[in-house]
Amino acid sequence: MNQPAKQFILTIEGVTKSFDGFKAINDLNFYMDEGELRVIIGPNGAGKSTMLDLITGRTRPDRGKVEFGRDTDLTALNEYQINRLGIGRKFQTPSVYVDHTVYNNILLSLEGSRSVWSTLFSRTTSEQRDRIQEVAKTIGLADRLEAKAGFLSHGQKQWLEIGMLLAQNPRLLLVDEPAAGMSDEETAKTGELLMSLAGKHSIIVIEHDMVFVRQIARTVTVLHQGSILCEGTVDEVQANERVIQVYLGRKKRGDTP
Amino acid sequence: MARTSNKREFLVLALAVLVGLVLLPCLNAYTPADSSFHISTFTLSVYGKYLCYAVLAMGVNLLWGYTGLLSLGQCLFFALGGYAFGMHLMLLIGKLGQYKADIPDFMVFLEFAKKYPATGGLPPHWVPFKNLWFSLAAVVVVPAVVAAIFGWLAFRSRIKGVYFSILSQALTYAATLMFFRNDFTFGGNNGLTDFKVILGHGVNEPVTKRVLYILSGVLLLLVYLFCRWLASTKFGLIQQAIRDSENRVLFSGYSTAHFKLLVFVLAAVISGLGGALYVPQAGIINPSEMGPDKSLEAVVWCAVGGRGVLVGPILGAIGCNALKSYATHAYAEQWPYILGILFIFVTLFMPKGIVGLPGQLTGLKRKWLRRTAAADLESKRADKVVTP
Amino acid sequence: MCARRLFRCLVRWLTAFLAGGITLHGGLAERQALIAAILSEDGDAQVELVQKLVEAPDPVIDSTLTAWRGGSLYLHEAADGTKIPFLLSSSTDAEGRARALRLLDDQPIADEKGVALQLAPAEATAADTSSKLRKIIKTTLDLRAIRDPNPQSRRDAVTKLGQEQNVTYLPHFEARLATEKEPEVRRALEESIAQTQVASADGAVRVQAIKRLGEMHSIVSLNLLQTLEKEAKSQPDRYGKETVTALHDSILAIENYLRVGNLFGTAFRGLSLSAVLLVASLGLAITFGLMGVINMAHGEVMMVGAYAAFVTQNIFESWFGRSGRGFDCYFLVALAVAFVSAGLVGLLLERGIIRFLYKRPLESMLATWGVSLVLQQIFRHIFGAANVQVNSPSWMSGSFVVSDVLLAYNRIFVIGFAVFIVFATYLLLTRTSLGLQIRAVMQNRAMASALGVRTDRVNLMTFGYGSGLAGMAGACLSQIGNVGPGLGQNYIVDCFMIVVLGGVGNVAGTVSASLGVGVTDQILQPWLGAVMGKITVLAAIILFLQWRPAGLFVTRSRSLEG
Repeated sequence: MNQPAKQFILTIEGVTKSFDGFKAINDLNFYMDEGELRVIIGPNGAGKSTMLDLITGRTRPDRGKVEFGRDTDLTALNEYQINRLGIGRKFQTPSVYVDHTVYNNILLSLEGSRSVWSTLFSRTTSEQRDRIQEVAKTIGLADRLEAKAGFLSHGQKQWLEIGMLLAQNPRLLLVDEPAAGMSDEETAKTGELLMSLAGKHSIIVIEHDMVFVRQIARTVTVLHQGSILCEGTVDEVQANERVIQVYLGRKKRGDTP
Repeated sequence: MARTSNKREFLVLALAVLVGLVLLPCLNAYTPADSSFHISTFTLSVYGKYLCYAVLAMGVNLLWGYTGLLSLGQCLFFALGGYAFGMHLMLLIGKLGQYKADIPDFMVFLEFAKKYPATGGLPPHWVPFKNLWFSLAAVVVVPAVVAAIFGWLAFRSRIKGVYFSILSQALTYAATLMFFRNDFTFGGNNGLTDFKVILGHGVNEPVTKRVLYILSGVLLLLVYLFCRWLASTKFGLIQQAIRDSENRVLFSGYSTAHFKLLVFVLAAVISGLGGALYVPQAGIINPSEMGPDKSLEAVVWCAVGGRGVLVGPILGAIGCNALKSYATHAYAEQWPYILGILFIFVTLFMPKGIVGLPGQLTGLKRKWLRRTAAADLESKRADKVVTP
Repeated sequence: MCARRLFRCLVRWLTAFLAGGITLHGGLAERQALIAAILSEDGDAQVELVQKLVEAPDPVIDSTLTAWRGGSLYLHEAADGTKIPFLLSSSTDAEGRARALRLLDDQPIADEKGVALQLAPAEATAADTSSKLRKIIKTTLDLRAIRDPNPQSRRDAVTKLGQEQNVTYLPHFEARLATEKEPEVRRALEESIAQTQVASADGAVRVQAIKRLGEMHSIVSLNLLQTLEKEAKSQPDRYGKETVTALHDSILAIENYLRVGNLFGTAFRGLSLSAVLLVASLGLAITFGLMGVINMAHGEVMMVGAYAAFVTQNIFESWFGRSGRGFDCYFLVALAVAFVSAGLVGLLLERGIIRFLYKRPLESMLATWGVSLVLQQIFRHIFGAANVQVNSPSWMSGSFVVSDVLLAYNRIFVIGFAVFIVFATYLLLTRTSLGLQIRAVMQNRAMASALGVRTDRVNLMTFGYGSGLAGMAGACLSQIGNVGPGLGQNYIVDCFMIVVLGGVGNVAGTVSASLGVGVTDQILQPWLGAVMGKITVLAAIILFLQWRPAGLFVTRSRSLEG
């Protein structure tokens, strides 16, 4: 494969990962530019979440390389080390600290030292406080800073989690199904939020909702049986014969009685 | 609101210190024995032991209440601290023992002189414990090192939840078995006992007992303040975040294993300090003190008082032990029933313990009021239907 | 050992009595020879006469010689001054007097008035013996025993005599070897011959015998050879180099054989311990896998099973007495009773407590610990704090021997039972609808529930089954260990370790983990002692988890992640 001379923020090459003989990821090759907003779609079991697991160090590949930026090998690092490099991940189900206030949720995610020592003796600076305000404003929770995260609505929790990622100021954001369980209005707002972030950050979004994909996507990657089926704009992808066959086609057949 | 609760906390704390650390010792020291205000030295010493248990419970709470790590082996560290200081006390007995030998009685009895002739029967690792400062350092270091090794192995391989509890129980079980052995050189079954002097004073002198009581109170106060400070730092926030969603913390760039390890070691040190002060007041430390059942009891004190709240374990430890000493006198046979039912009742009906009881009651009251209101509404509606 | 020999003597006595009437005439000459020996006044002649009795087949000779040696053969002086040897009948009257039975024909001796003589042992005159004579009688008895009709007794007698290394026995051994057909007795004879030859002054014979013992892996001669080796080393000139090397080789051969045998014995004991642990932890593992709940009272549920076996035993004893076929059946019934009673306790526990705590696994540990305290105290109240005695039925006591390794029947039964239980559980999980539901709930509780599986009922049934298994494990334990209120506490930590090691809700993992823990524990025990063995196993488990944090076999299930 001819690798372009351009510098990618994320390089996945020849990666294979199997669980008990089942190949979740099969010789996957994936490249992403700095500042890009990439949407990944694919039927259930295509290996989308496993791909994020491989990037964030939750599982290790059997074979192949996963590199971040110029030449940081992610396969040798564990979750928190990878996060410290500037890779943030939002999980499918919202995971926030339900017993903490929105303010503390964001505070714990602010970029800065993560050492045990610093958490014991550092004090919150006024800059940090401003930054928390700013993040809260971006995600529309500025007036709920003192509320416990457990009392937020589902959509608000999703946003809070995105806000926590923003607070880390990561270079690469991995977002797993942000629109799941949101109303149409909330989904649209989420889409706007993500689009406004693109450019400043590189973003990978996994999504099922094609309306949402249409709203945000410039480049779409279709994953099928652990490897890439095709890549292109939404229209290109939707016109692709093989995609229709494995993914959209099946859906259509199911739709028409 | 935060300020008023702070003020209230300060007032309660000041009152507790006044009563516990000033009034009670004074009543013991300066009132005649026949006065109805008099607190006997025995009673004071019993209270002193409760305070040490409260320190232990603070350790449990730091782990379970704040970090969500249920250690079923916390008494191991309590006992290790106790043994470390108890060894020093054993060596202070000297020729006052039954065998009038330089080494502790059990070593004479077990013929250690043959095994360790170079030191006159004293096992080599006992020798430095002649020094008070060494032994005080050991009170802190030994539990810390044991906790660090076990914690490092456990947290490194991400053992958590029920697995962690079971393994910590197994750890203390194994330690109990070891200490039961005579050739482990810590007095086997009987442990360390028959202490005579401490820092030049007889262990049973009222002054000694009083000072030990006050020290226990001071220790508890210091541990309380330390835990309070810890909870107010970002570290404290992370502790609770680990309890709620450990993966989120990990994926936010914090090495949760290091945080948990530090908490585990801190809790071990706190428990060890409690044990060290407990031993001279109880007059004995033996392997049963670190058995799995004792550790579970300590967890229950915490649960009864209310975990995740600083005063919870203190209330629980003192309350449960007061109940225990009353019950084991009055209904010795029934004590296991009482304890067992306490375990079940608290976990089923009082998940937040005594501290959470007022909130629970108001919640119930509100629910009841709402239900009666709804019932009223219903009956009014019914009335309307009946009378057109 | 001693009791057994005594018992055998008694049996011989009894058979002698019963057979007395029939063999009377056939054995008349022998009896007369016996009487001649008893009445002989000349010491040397008497010895010779006694030694001659070796060949006589009549069992009455054994009983009489035994009685003589023991001072319970008496002499009656008749009116004419002749002495009549007699024995006292075994049935005594109220004063302890018994009939005097003439040795010659077992007829009662009548006194002058024609009344049968009734004597207490103290009133009768015992036949004289000297210590030398007693020794001769003893040897004669032993030599007679190598002709005993019972092969077991023959073998024991031969082995015993071989230890004495008495050259005069050699012809007897060799004569017997020529006719003996039982392989075990033949082996014992060859061993004894070689042992006797080891004491020989002839170097070649000695070396040959030593080598022979080594080849035979003769465990009974090990002590003897070791003593000789010490002696030979201190006096090399007397024994010669060849003897020393032969001794060394043979001792080594026997010791190696012993070591292998011990290893197998240990492995066998480990296997049976594993079997009990397996049955106990299988239930724990399934419930843990299904509900994420660790039942700290699981050990006490085992105890319920063990006491159920005890109660069943007592009931059967009151119906059928302490032995016999009726009593022997009790254990099979006890297993069923243990399953049902422990299962009921489990059902109550699930309904009463655990179902409220499914979302709070740590608290459920505390609550079930409370239950365990209460249960222990209840049983202490009812049955007392001391251990109770549970007897094995006759078909489970005893053992059989495979190349010097004792395999106790009760342990074999326990192993077989565990295999059966594992098989049954496997079938339950894979072949029944309940099993299908259990697996469905284990993999995805929410989905199973949405598809109409009554998850709370599945929980209940599983918990009941798991507890029932624990109860049966307890019943098995009653056969190989002590039954007391603390029974549960002794095994529960091991069970927890197995669950941790085996991974959750996994039959294969639980099987391998219990095998690992049980066998390792037993193998380490002789070297490190019980306590250090346990501690080592524990440390090994913690280290093992470093390598595989989720246990041996991991069931990949999405619900466990997160």
